[in-house]
Parts: sequence; C-alpha cells; structure tokens
Amino acid sequence: MQTQATMWQIARRPRWIGALVLALAIAGGFAALGQWQLSRSFESGAAPDEQTENIVALDAVSTPQQPVPALATGQLVTAEATFVAGDYVVLSDRFNDVNAAPGFWVVGHGITPDGASLAVALGWSATADEAESAVAGLEQSAPDGVLTGRYLPSESPQESDFEAGQRSALAVSELVNLWAQQPAGVHGGYLVTDAAASGLVRIDSPAPLSEVSLNLLNVFYAIEWVVFAGFAIFLWYRLVRDTWEAEGEALRDAELAATPHAPPVE
Amino acid sequence: MPIGPRPEDVSRIRRTVSIYKVSSYITGTFLLLLLLMMVFRYGFGVDIELLGPYGFLALTPKDLIDGINLSTLILIAHGWFYVLYLGADFVMWRLIRWSFTKFLLIALGGVIPFLSFYFERRVPKDAMAAIATLETQEKVAA
Repeated sequence: MQTQATMWQIARRPRWIGALVLALAIAGGFAALGQWQLSRSFESGAAPDEQTENIVALDAVSTPQQPVPALATGQLVTAEATFVAGDYVVLSDRFNDVNAAPGFWVVGHGITPDGASLAVALGWSATADEAESAVAGLEQSAPDGVLTGRYLPSESPQESDFEAGQRSALAVSELVNLWAQQPAGVHGGYLVTDAAASGLVRIDSPAPLSEVSLNLLNVFYAIEWVVFAGFAIFLWYRLVRDTWEAEGEALRDAELAATPHAPPVE
Repeated sequence: MPIGPRPEDVSRIRRTVSIYKVSSYITGTFLLLLLLMMVFRYGFGVDIELLGPYGFLALTPKDLIDGINLSTLILIAHGWFYVLYLGADFVMWRLIRWSFTKFLLIALGGVIPFLSFYFERRVPKDAMAAIATLETQEKVAA
C-alpha cells in the first residue's frame, strides 16, 4: 500500500526547493524595499544642510545693517578683515568642550574692505590670564588678511555683571557700544575663525545639526514591506501544506474506492 | 493541486464571496479614478482639489493646493480597498482551495483597470460552481 509523504518530504522535492528559493528571493526584495523606505524616512532635510559646508564669500550671505538670513546661519565663509587695535573684547563662560569647564573667548573688531564692521571670534582659552595675554599679543600683531570660518547670527545680550567688565554673550549689538572705533556699518552675525590666534585654542564650531525629521509614512511603509516579506515565506509554507493535504485526501479517496465494503460516509 | 472546498466551509465561502463582490466594485471604481488622477498628475502636473479657492472641484498644481487633495485621497482609498479585496481573495483561495495561479490572477484584478468588473461576475460563479460540485458529491456519497 502506498504511504503518504510527510510535509518534510514534500518540501524537499526539487519543485518546492525551487519555490522556496523564489519565496526567499521575493522576501529579500521586499526587505530591500523596506530598507529603502526606512532610509527615505530619514533623508528629508539633508540636502540644504550640506551647502553650509561650501565656503562662500561673506558678502554673498550677509549684508551690513541687514538681518542675517536663516540660510546664512552656520555658513562657512571667507572675509578679508583688518583688525582695530584696542577693540578686543574678552567673553567669559564660553564652553569649547561640553565636558570641560567654561573658558574665555577673545573677540576682535574686524573691518572689511568695504568699511563694514565684523565681529570675529578669534579663539578660546581656559583662563582669563591666557585670554588677556593673547589680547596683548593681538595688539602687537593683528591677524589681518583673509579669514575663513563659520558665520553665525549674533547672540542675545545676557544679564551679566557688565560693570565689572564681565559679559558672556557674543552680542553684536552690545559690541558696537564697546568698540572705540564707531562702525560705519555692521554685519548682523559674527565669524568664528578656523585658525585660532596665537596663544588661543581653536573654537570648536561644528556644522549645524541637520534637522532629521522622521517621515512616519515611510516608516509605516517600511513595516509593511517587512510584513509582505514574511507573507512570501508563509505562502510557500501554505502551498507545501496544501500539497500535503491534497495528497493525503487523494490517498484516502483511493483507499476508500479500493475497499469493497467501505462504510458509508455521512 | 485544487481539491475543492470542505463541506463545513460553505457558509463562510458564501459570506466571503459577497464581501469580494462589494470590494471588487469599489476597488475597480477607485482604480479608474486613480488612472484619471495619474493622467492629471503626471501628464499635466496637476492634482484634483476639492473645496479649494477655485470652486468645488479644481485642477491645481500639487504645491498650490489649499483645499482637500482628492488625488492623494484616491491613492490612499484605492490602497486600502485593495487590501480588503486581496483579503477576500486570500480567504476564498484558502477555503475553496483554488490553485495558487488563480489567487494571483484574482489579485491582478485590483491593479489592471476593468479586470475587477469581469472578475466580479466570473469569480462568484466559479465559487458557486465549486460549492455545487461539493453538494452533488455529498449526495452521491449519501
């Protein structure tokens, strides 16, 4: 008498191994599509940020006496500047490394070729003494010439013990009142130089954080693809099981037909 | 290897077939709307706007739409009704124990225009034929 093949035996038939390879290939394709959807869901907003890393002339992004456009924020720029002696300002409570103690910034008063003023953050130091000695050095030899660095919008003035000469915000609006030489026009933002002045540490000014907006629709589609991939495998299992059930029933029917005194089926 | 439905599944099959009929009509209609919307979006660069500033229905470039974007709504609605259609297709395939090819063929009804209207007549007829075959077999056996 013929015995029924087990599901495992059916699954090992070349036809069903081929079907499994096909199902796995389809599931793999779906998984890849899901991955693509997932990468798409993070992608938005990446493109505009890269342009801050292309160095442009300061005049291309900032006009003196005009507000700083949002696109100029964090832009790498070059600007030619001559520094005004006696106009160096030291700011306190400036962090250069979030894990270290706050230090000091030395800010210079640069004049661009068209006569406009530009605040330039020249470097960081851990102590006030170091900052003061750096200022003394700058008074002797100013870092005139073409500067490269990141252009950032002015900070808001903060309440501080300014009468004792203490200030912690790089507020251009405050600086214009401190500078001895009256500006003919002033850029609304300030420049953080790439190369620190001698005696100072380079100010860490990373590229602006890209706004990673999660596109939930794409995340949902990615989950859908994973479900579809699972379904492709399930379908293969179901089809093997169908074959097994069909063979079993065919076999039982054949046996019933072969038995002379088959009991009546209700 | 199609072997026909089980007797205990007959009432479920009848229920699924009626769901299938409704879903095939809705999916088929939305597929035609989708076709229209695709022609407007990719042919003329406009979407269908409902209740916008230019009247009840208007053709407006996608970025300028103030009202309800009917084109996107059609897209989403067709997607979900197709899920229902596929679900009915799947359940019928399982219960009537049709061949896998037939399952795939019926699935195509939701993506090929007008095909679902043909299937709406054809598929229930096949399902009823399968039930009828089962019932005659039972009579013969009894």
